[in-house]
Amino acid sequence: MGSMFRSEEVALVQLFLPTAAAYSCVSQLGELGLVEFRDLNASVSAFQRRFVVDVRRCEELEKTFTFLQEEVRRAGLVLSPPEGKLPAPPPRDLLRIQEETDRLAQELRDVRGNQQALRAQLHQLRLHSAVLGQSHGPPMAAAAYAEGPSSERTPLISAPGGSHTDLKVNFVAGAVEPHKAAALERLLWRACRGFLIASFREMESQLEDPVTGEPATWMTFVISYWGEQIGQKIRKITDCFHCHIFPYLEQEQARHGVLQQLQQQSQELQEVLEETERFLSQVLGRVQQLLPSGQVQVRKMKAVYLALNQCSVSTTHKCLIAEGWCAACDLPALQQALQDSSSEAGVSAVAHRIPCRDMPPTLIRTNRFTASFQGIVDAYGVGRYQEVNPAPYTIITFPFLFAVMFGDVGHGLLMFLFALAMVLMENRPAVKAAQNEIWQTFFGGRYLLLLMGLFSIYTGFIYNECFSRATTIFPSGWSVAAMANQSGWSDKYLSQHPVLTLDPNIPGVFLGPYPFGIDPVWSLASNHLSFLNSFKMKMSVILGVTHMAFGVFLSIFNHVHFGQAHRLLLETLPELIFLLGLFGYLVFLVVYKWLQVSVSSAASAPSILIHFINMFLFAHSSTNLPLFPGQEVTQYTLVVLALAMVPVLLLGTPLYLLRQHHRRHHPQMGIQDENKDRLLDSSDASISENGWSPDEEKAGCPGDEEAEFVASEAFMHQAIHTIEFCLGCISNTASYLRLWALSLAHAQLSEVLWAMVMRVGLSMGREVGVAAVVLVPVFAAFAVMTVAILLVMEGLSAFLHALRLHWVEFQNKFYLGTGYKLSPFTFTTDD
Amino acid sequence: MSERAELYFNVDHGYLEGLVRGCKANLLTQKDYINLVQCETLEDLKIHLQTTDYGNFLANETNPLTVSKIDTEMRKKLCREFEYFRNHSLEPLSTFLTYMTCSYMIDNVILLMNGALQKKSVKEVLAKCHPLGRFTEMEAVNIAETTSDLFRAVLVETPLAPFFQDCMSENALDELNIELLRNKLYKSYLEEFYKFCKNHGDVTAEIMCPILEFEADRRAVIITLNSFGTELSKEDREALFPTCGKLYPEGLRLLAQAEDFEQMKRVADHYGVYKPLFEAVGGSGGKTLEDVFYEREVQMNVLAFNRQFHYGVFYAYVKLKEQEMRNIVWIAECISQRHRTKINSYIPIL
Repeated sequence: MGSMFRSEEVALVQLFLPTAAAYSCVSQLGELGLVEFRDLNASVSAFQRRFVVDVRRCEELEKTFTFLQEEVRRAGLVLSPPEGKLPAPPPRDLLRIQEETDRLAQELRDVRGNQQALRAQLHQLRLHSAVLGQSHGPPMAAAAYAEGPSSERTPLISAPGGSHTDLKVNFVAGAVEPHKAAALERLLWRACRGFLIASFREMESQLEDPVTGEPATWMTFVISYWGEQIGQKIRKITDCFHCHIFPYLEQEQARHGVLQQLQQQSQELQEVLEETERFLSQVLGRVQQLLPSGQVQVRKMKAVYLALNQCSVSTTHKCLIAEGWCAACDLPALQQALQDSSSEAGVSAVAHRIPCRDMPPTLIRTNRFTASFQGIVDAYGVGRYQEVNPAPYTIITFPFLFAVMFGDVGHGLLMFLFALAMVLMENRPAVKAAQNEIWQTFFGGRYLLLLMGLFSIYTGFIYNECFSRATTIFPSGWSVAAMANQSGWSDKYLSQHPVLTLDPNIPGVFLGPYPFGIDPVWSLASNHLSFLNSFKMKMSVILGVTHMAFGVFLSIFNHVHFGQAHRLLLETLPELIFLLGLFGYLVFLVVYKWLQVSVSSAASAPSILIHFINMFLFAHSSTNLPLFPGQEVTQYTLVVLALAMVPVLLLGTPLYLLRQHHRRHHPQMGIQDENKDRLLDSSDASISENGWSPDEEKAGCPGDEEAEFVASEAFMHQAIHTIEFCLGCISNTASYLRLWALSLAHAQLSEVLWAMVMRVGLSMGREVGVAAVVLVPVFAAFAVMTVAILLVMEGLSAFLHALRLHWVEFQNKFYLGTGYKLSPFTFTTDD
Repeated sequence: MSERAELYFNVDHGYLEGLVRGCKANLLTQKDYINLVQCETLEDLKIHLQTTDYGNFLANETNPLTVSKIDTEMRKKLCREFEYFRNHSLEPLSTFLTYMTCSYMIDNVILLMNGALQKKSVKEVLAKCHPLGRFTEMEAVNIAETTSDLFRAVLVETPLAPFFQDCMSENALDELNIELLRNKLYKSYLEEFYKFCKNHGDVTAEIMCPILEFEADRRAVIITLNSFGTELSKEDREALFPTCGKLYPEGLRLLAQAEDFEQMKRVADHYGVYKPLFEAVGGSGGKTLEDVFYEREVQMNVLAFNRQFHYGVFYAYVKLKEQEMRNIVWIAECISQRHRTKINSYIPIL
């Protein structure tokens, strides 16, 4: 848990991997996932690297795997995920795997080819029999025309010689894909100028396409024509439409004979095909066994080679040199792993820390509880190396601020139960494996939801609202009976006045504050809303100022950790004085007035608003009584102090850095710490390039200290920071008022839902039967709308605003978020 | 009109325009070319192309890899993209896209007819046809003996039909006639396309008209260049020139009279656009006229992407992609023939 506060120490390590053991070392590291490799060959293009041949072999193998997978998928079989732990195979095994796969693939290709050929043959036979089997009326009729005495239908033929009787009618019969049929028919007609009669007919049964296996209805056709030239043309055209042409005998009997023969043939073929398919399924079964493990192994192998490609070769070619980031506490594990996996090779691989000037990556280990909170922070920006991590505070503040906007016992309870159900069944495989994206989002944030629900119940009790109804757990602090007795309300008075006032000044009416939260009597009051508004507004300001002050306070840890004492004095301190002097004082006024002003003096109570405005104007209002003696002096002091902090904030750090810069340049005094601080501060770009981290400063790395110090840039940067902070104090405080606005909206919306739906239902029927019948749909509507509008929609909006309050108002006080994550080389896939 | 077009353009064509701009952003960059040129074998080339937008488009090719396989796969990829555009397009963009395919259809028809004349098998020729210009009746062109035959029987239903009005004849289709047919078809195609863009107005006209004018002039110049030393008469030659270019009418008349390259150059000198192009020929790196024209075309196509709400981006994208494919094929050829001296004379896309 300690590592949550800031990211772990990460060291740059150099690994010397003996050439013989490099592969096994890296594959072991991949299993453990300790090191993020740095690319030492960034300037070398992908195909000029050392292990490109091996990578290519792996790719070749993957290609075969893809083919096999596709075949298995096409056969409608599923591949089971591989079982057990499969380490990356040693390089010599690649050959074995390759041979095995190639053999299998070849076998599969052969069988598949056979099957395809047989299918194509069968397809052809079926088409043929379909063409023959279909009785095409028109060609027969056409034949009759041609053979019979001349008729009006054949004037073109009979015109030239009249010897049409010896002209023979020929047939072309075949089948064509249905979508081409129309075009073919038209083209035939145009090309042969109508000297033909074509009959197209759809086939009765569908045929499976031999290649894709999709069923299709083919069109069969019979074309009768005269003359050889046209015949050739027709054949050409049918050719180019990829039609299947079959011999078509004229005699009916002959066709029958052929048909029977065809049917017999296709039966035989069917049997052969079945046999082939049986064999195919055997081969596929073997593929199913081999494929999953092979795929995982080869993928691992490829990953190892790609990692090795990032290593540079030592001058003696004895070993590979890799560089990578590794958490400092994992170094012993890294050493151990290297030793274990290189023990066979005789020479052991070693790893040692090297100093570096780059900013190391950020590593924050999370568990399933903290992961979602860290996720919220990381979504804004991954923290700089060893910067204070807001996540541990977010664990409490985020659900709390959410709950302030979502305060309702009933709604909180529903959310809590939903989250609890997810938490309780988080280990069920079915839940984990669910692919639905929306579900995954909710499931990923289940602990967040759990806390959000819990806190909502808490704030719900404070607001005393459960589905917008108040609950009376303790007796109310107000007594109507006392009021009635003391003021002597007559029956007439009561009947005339629907609204009555309870005066707390009368003894016995106000017995004391309600033990916890808002008194339930307020839910009956007509000034309920103005009472709550005053309360929630002040609460928002108090929470906001506290939250922001905490943020500024956290920056102290940053400065202390990075050894920047001057920023503590020149930045954090003025910031704290500015914030607390102005807005801290406002909070003080609010609390003071709550405690100090009693019921009796309520009529003449001073207005905080006027006081606060006067404070800035240095004005005095005679009608507004002071809250405490010496208030004006205190206020003047605070304003002057706060304004005096602005120039300190604006000029302090840059001037200090400038002085450091001059001192360092003239006498060579070793004030390196400050120099580094200056670098950290001056601009982000120089951070990443230059001075990094105290520990390697200690390691004595004589890097490029003489990086340019640009005074104007430092001033500019600080000016922006100052303006942002000072204006931010005002606008951010105002921004926290969204707590008030959203909680008001939530309360009002649930109130409306209750009044418009549930109350209408409840007041519907006086008789039990009617009420029961009516209440079922009414309650259903109420439940659905509660979940859809109040839980989901309102919940999302409250979530969004809580997110904003954290990202903008809280984190900009101390969090830069300009780092990058440590992403170690690992074989395991992230969930 | 133009304001309205900008208002409503995205309703119908916004998605596709976004898509085509995304595709254009994925064209190979100068850095990619530098890497490609360094490749030692086609395998290297393939590995490098994998890191670009081409992805693993060669993953399922069986070894050994050849240039023609790469070319085919690239064309298929372009064709897939284009089909997608076309299937999702609405009028008048779909007509525009159809016009774009017509030039490929003309090429395919001519290719098939030439193939039939040389008694090559249809399959062999089909493999060479550009997939963008494929249509069902295409293979049937070899049944036709004359152009009017061709029109009436085969092409009357295709988008090419309107371009035939000027070239109906009963001449037998020999090699010369086919070439004439091609140029006449192309002439009327360009003029039609030009008219379409002009009538459409808006930014589309502003972008497409200069591109098509340039295309027309280029054809005129190329026809002239190719007709030196052939029996083509000057009147016939003039009849082939597309008339929608900047050279029309005086330039074309002069071009028709030109007898050698020098005379042609003198004609071009009258035109500010073409003068620098002709001057660049033979200069540094021994550029041919064709290269110079290609470079100019690339330039115009890239500029087309600077305006929004027009159809020119589709035309420009396909042309740029074609140029990129030519470049890759050129580099691949140089690699496979171990002829590295000229490997750098591809035409970079800016």
